[in-house]
Amino acid sequence: MSRTSIIALLIFGAILGYFLTFGPDRTRKFQGGVYQLIAPFLTGGSGLQKQITSVRTGLKSLEELERENASLQVENRSLKATNQGLRDVEHEVNRFRHALNYRERSVFKLVPAEIVTRDSSTWWHTVTINRGTEDGIEGDMAVVTDEGLVGKTTTVSANISMVLLVSDENCKVAASVEGTREQGIVSGERVSGGLTPFLNLNFLSKQADLKPGQKAYTSGVGGVFPSGLLIGAVKTFRVRELDGQAQLTPTVDLSHLEDVFVVTGRK
Amino acid sequence: MIFFFILLVFVLIAQIAEFFIPTLPWLHNAHIYIAPVIVFYGAMALPFPLMLALALYAGILLDALTVQVIGAKVEISMGWSILLYAVLAGIMHGLRPLFIRGRWEVHCVLSGICTSAIILAQYLMITFRRGSIIFSGEVWWQIGGPGLIAMVMAPIIFWVLQWMARITAYPYLSERSRFE
Repeated sequence: MSRTSIIALLIFGAILGYFLTFGPDRTRKFQGGVYQLIAPFLTGGSGLQKQITSVRTGLKSLEELERENASLQVENRSLKATNQGLRDVEHEVNRFRHALNYRERSVFKLVPAEIVTRDSSTWWHTVTINRGTEDGIEGDMAVVTDEGLVGKTTTVSANISMVLLVSDENCKVAASVEGTREQGIVSGERVSGGLTPFLNLNFLSKQADLKPGQKAYTSGVGGVFPSGLLIGAVKTFRVRELDGQAQLTPTVDLSHLEDVFVVTGRK
Repeated sequence: MIFFFILLVFVLIAQIAEFFIPTLPWLHNAHIYIAPVIVFYGAMALPFPLMLALALYAGILLDALTVQVIGAKVEISMGWSILLYAVLAGIMHGLRPLFIRGRWEVHCVLSGICTSAIILAQYLMITFRRGSIIFSGEVWWQIGGPGLIAMVMAPIIFWVLQWMARITAYPYLSERSRFE
């Protein structure tokens, strides 16, 4: 081995040793710095991806268009019939649309955010959003949509943040089940092959006997997630050696997220 | 030296691009990793000190962009990816004579294996942290799938990078012309 290689190896070892001494705070700070540096590329890439996707989905073959046209004609006749009846409802819907705007009706202070990127790694379920400390975002803040819980913020930089999805095994949420006194901890699965991940509600009592469709909400225990946020609906329940475990279907479609809200506090 | 900086830029672009590349549903939602293939090409094409520098750079990027910090806990400490890249790139560098002779196939296969090795190492580390060892079929696909894809992508990426090296008159590949 040449002298240059040995010197290079020594320098490499020193730098490696320096990084290995990083604790959580320094790691978070460093990670935030790197994210901040590449934020323009991430947001630019996100815009480009949306344009490409819209062009791709807009392209259809002639046969597809003919089929679509035929079905649209049938649908059009049916819609004309129902349209008359819906006119009265339309006025009411417009009135309620504003009233029911999620941000307004929510009891929480919400900061709207857009998903910039999805997880690029195999073992972690994360997304990045285009809001950061400049928008009042901090670490460990709940992230929601009007449908329910999405996850929580982890690393936050000036205007980009990492969100740990509820489908990640590390995202633990204290939950209660509607219509029962059952409380447990929801966490994701380490590996999920399907597009829709399932959540596990652990530490239930063996007598819980939950029925499919029962909803699980955040219980507010732990302080990160405020109580009353919908997490998912029970799919199955099984009794284990020491406790009961329910499998939940998340209410939010985590694979097609576009816009979310970060809960910054209560109103 | 210009070529080394080109590789640095390519690794950064690849690492950012990985955020936007969707997973493959037909391959058990396997991710596509481009950056490791570029690093492994660099391991063959660059001299030892620059190979270490590339591994350091790619490892820092990988850690900074993927590692999770939850509360007071870091799942995989900063630096582990640097070490992984350096060890695997070192193995690839050791097979450089084959590459110089124009035999790329071994390196293409190795790129896939090494990509899977990175993911396997990450999985072992998080398993060690979280407990309960799970090695289901899904896990193996999540580990092996990206490796298979890297193997398929490697010849194209290698060819593009080789072409870039020639354009920039990269001197370290000059021996190769003797075998063409």
